Amino acid sequence: MPPRVVPVPKTPKESYNPERPASSLLRAQILHLHEALKWHVAEIQAALEINPRRLFSEREVSNYAKRVSRILHPQAAKRQKK
Amino acid sequence: MSAGLDNLKHIVVLMMENRSFDHMLGALRAKDVRISGLTGNEFNLDTNGAIVKVQASAKFQGELKNDPDHHFPGVDLQIFGGAQNDGRAANMGGFVKSYFTQTNNDVNLSHAIMNYFALGQLPVLTELATEFAVFNGWFSSIPGPTICNRAFAHYGTSFGQVSMDIFYLLDPILSVYERMVNAGQTSKLYYYDQQSSTMEVVNLLKNEPQVFATFDQFLADCKSGSLPQYSFIEPCYNDHPGDDGGQILASDQHPDHDVREGERFIATVFNAIRTNPDLWQSTALLIVYDEHGGLYDHVVPPSCTPDGYVAQAADTETGRPFAFDRLGIRVPAIMVSPWIPRGTVIPGPEDPEKGRVFEHASIPATVTSQFLPNFDQNNKRTVREKNAATFLDLLTDQMRPDDDCIVFNL
Repeated sequence: MPPRVVPVPKTPKESYNPERPASSLLRAQILHLHEALKWHVAEIQAALEINPRRLFSEREVSNYAKRVSRILHPQAAKRQKK
Repeated sequence: MSAGLDNLKHIVVLMMENRSFDHMLGALRAKDVRISGLTGNEFNLDTNGAIVKVQASAKFQGELKNDPDHHFPGVDLQIFGGAQNDGRAANMGGFVKSYFTQTNNDVNLSHAIMNYFALGQLPVLTELATEFAVFNGWFSSIPGPTICNRAFAHYGTSFGQVSMDIFYLLDPILSVYERMVNAGQTSKLYYYDQQSSTMEVVNLLKNEPQVFATFDQFLADCKSGSLPQYSFIEPCYNDHPGDDGGQILASDQHPDHDVREGERFIATVFNAIRTNPDLWQSTALLIVYDEHGGLYDHVVPPSCTPDGYVAQAADTETGRPFAFDRLGIRVPAIMVSPWIPRGTVIPGPEDPEKGRVFEHASIPATVTSQFLPNFDQNNKRTVREKNAATFLDLLTDQMRPDDDCIVFNL
């Protein structure tokens, strides 16, 4: 016997209203996003203040590459095993 | 250990927005008296002193255009009815008064806060509640708004916050995602899309970008059988155009978003797990709401283990400090697994003997106890989380056959 199927009503298209005033939650969310962006700017600024021409050892180079890569490609950090 | 727990490989938590237990599930008492819903006689007084009874006339959208107050002072009014004296007793009598202030002092509009959904209006949520397990006693962690309540689901504390302000991690309390990653376990926080983004912005976006993914990835991970051990899903928080020009509706059920779209989202998450046989029998899905959103519930929030922080009177805006020693208002919570018998009702405060109390700190507590049993040897958790009830004991030895479990047709 197949499992019981429960129909789920569709949401009317008229429910869509991107002009709806944003709730206090959404307005708080963008403040948090703004704050996170500032944190990234500080991180980028700190990396720019390092002169790469003054890095000589492989340790220094790899540390710098890691620092920049973490900004440019954060998804690569601490890759998880599946 | 039960066979269900022995087979468990994945915990998935879907956290919706801003609806109380009675508002969404209160009607179920008429179907099953064990469910601590509404009798129909519960009431508040309005600002004219008139009795306003609960009514099964909630609308999917349109009657809560003025967002009900769910900030700390507003919830204090809702719970204590406006009493300010020492030793005041909670009576859940201030919801209509609270909503009155949100509706530009319109008495008639203020009555809408007592409305709840009639039987049959929410087929997804009520089918899941009656087909699997419903919690009579799952409470939001703080009598306050979203951000601090969601923090309890991630950290087992809000670090002293009772508001939506930005907060920073000053203590060595790790998020449950960091705990998992540090231990070589797998964990993902799936937000809907970039336009909706995440509510866990500052701390997680800053510290753990690698644990984030979008909802499309969740669906793909379910299909390919590569779901992490622990997944946390965020619904869509706003109406916005899709990349293809289509219309994407908010699915979080935050007032005044259409509740039906949230129903569809819950059903989509369920179906994604349900339709992969291996995943279905190895996954526990918890559907829970972050807080009550200012909507009426009849159950007085119980006291709880403090988390070691104190919010000062200036921060609570009530003239009183708050020691995180009382939970917030009750929210819907449903656990889904084929290892759960149909019609399971987990008693809450209405049962003084067998009742159990859950809150959002129960989430990291459960994930940590299941996947990181040695975590406390070298790491810290709040005493609040350590004392929080866990919920995997609901999994039994008996797996229901495939034809005994529903599927949604979207």
